Amino acid sequence: MKSLISKEFSLCLHPMSVVFLSFAALVFVPNYPYEVIFFFSGLSVFFTAMAARENGDLAFTCALPVKKGEVPLARIFVTVLFQCVLLLLVAGCIAVKQTTFPVEMRVNLAANSANLAFCGFGALLLGAFNLTFFPLYYRDPNRVGVPFLIASAVQFVLIGVMVAIRHFPFYEPIASADFACYSAKLAILLGGLALYLVMTALAARLSMMRFETVDL
Amino acid sequence: MYALEVRNLKKTYQNFTLGELSFSVETGQIAGLIGRNGAGKSTTLKSIMRLISSEGMVQVFGKDFAREENTVKGLIGYVGGGFRFYPNKSLAAVARTFSRFYPHWDGEVFRRCCDAYALLPTKRIRELSEGMRIKFSLALALSHGAKLLLLDEPTSGLDPLSREEFCDTILSLREQGVTVLFSTHITSDLLRVADKIVYLSEGTLLADEPLDALLKRYRLGLFPSMREAEAARAIGVKAVKEGFEGLIENSLEGREATLDEIMIHLEWERRKVYEIAYK
Repeated sequence: MKSLISKEFSLCLHPMSVVFLSFAALVFVPNYPYEVIFFFSGLSVFFTAMAARENGDLAFTCALPVKKGEVPLARIFVTVLFQCVLLLLVAGCIAVKQTTFPVEMRVNLAANSANLAFCGFGALLLGAFNLTFFPLYYRDPNRVGVPFLIASAVQFVLIGVMVAIRHFPFYEPIASADFACYSAKLAILLGGLALYLVMTALAARLSMMRFETVDL
Repeated sequence: MYALEVRNLKKTYQNFTLGELSFSVETGQIAGLIGRNGAGKSTTLKSIMRLISSEGMVQVFGKDFAREENTVKGLIGYVGGGFRFYPNKSLAAVARTFSRFYPHWDGEVFRRCCDAYALLPTKRIRELSEGMRIKFSLALALSHGAKLLLLDEPTSGLDPLSREEFCDTILSLREQGVTVLFSTHITSDLLRVADKIVYLSEGTLLADEPLDALLKRYRLGLFPSMREAEAARAIGVKAVKEGFEGLIENSLEGREATLDEIMIHLEWERRKVYEIAYK
């Protein structure tokens, strides 16, 4: 597995995967739907999958001394690594924003403000992408576009719900940029992270099962 | 001991069925996998490597492929035609990554292979010709100390001199105890190096026997008429300029048949049997 992960970095990783990490800084943009940051994470996975297809990566990898089922696992592991880095960068940017920006600049009128609950929603969006994209992609790795379209559609529906819910009065304290409803925000963060783990684990299991029967 | 043992290998596509195939290759043997285009040679090799999902059992040096996939793949050098992967990466970058998967990787052997095949490690894959790509695949396979080489048409893109070098390499590997199964259309290569032949036709096994035995089993008869050919029980009789030509099994009549002629007439016979059955 270590060699497979190392191969993902040396031969497969698309440069945009690293560039998109810098999009965490979008939380500094005033009145912006920060949820789209997590869409770009999915876009980097799509670019890597496209490059892998053009490079014949799966056929090459499966001829190496690895179990066929481990091949999707390595790709998902690297994706999780990048997603965790993205979440940490977003959290870091939020911490900087919360401590250095004036209150009026911290409030997001377009969507959820950058706070703990937002990170939980981000994790949920990433988990939803993983659960939709990877099992579809590993059912037929030659078709990268359709799984990405479906996974992106799922993400945008969820983003739509998150943006819409922000405008309900009962939700106002959770969407706020201050420390109000701290425990509720923390609960959303932990819930989001738990769902992320469950959805990603399920995505990995389904992908491994489906990839076993793929003809390369 | 068998280096490779295949039992009841079966793969079904919508318009093609492979198998059930059963054959084996002994340790140190060089086996040629032959058959016309679409006979199932690549499907067989890919099924053995589990690149495609298929039924049946594959054992390599007594180890079950499905159960000990990692270990078994480590014993195999698989060359699926020319190296078509990562065109923008350098040979050195690919070899470096490749080497991490093999504990017995020998950098010195790789360097010697690169020198022998005139491969520049700094070159990118896309800068290699088809022949050079095959040589690079071979260099990778040879450098990790593979005990069994599975080669899918390794000589098809090579010039005559490179093919000769390939045959020399294969023969030298046999001296080191390496077993080779390679598919090819170029029967002169087989005559030069192969100990046995595994012959596929439309997904079924037509022959699995030593090359010498196959060549001795069939002779080519020339007949003035179809009736005489049928009387001699000739196989795969077809019209030629001089009359009718067909294989005669286990006979001293006729002349020695080449491997190409054996393939042509066996295929012809198979088609005739199929047409009769179909009608």
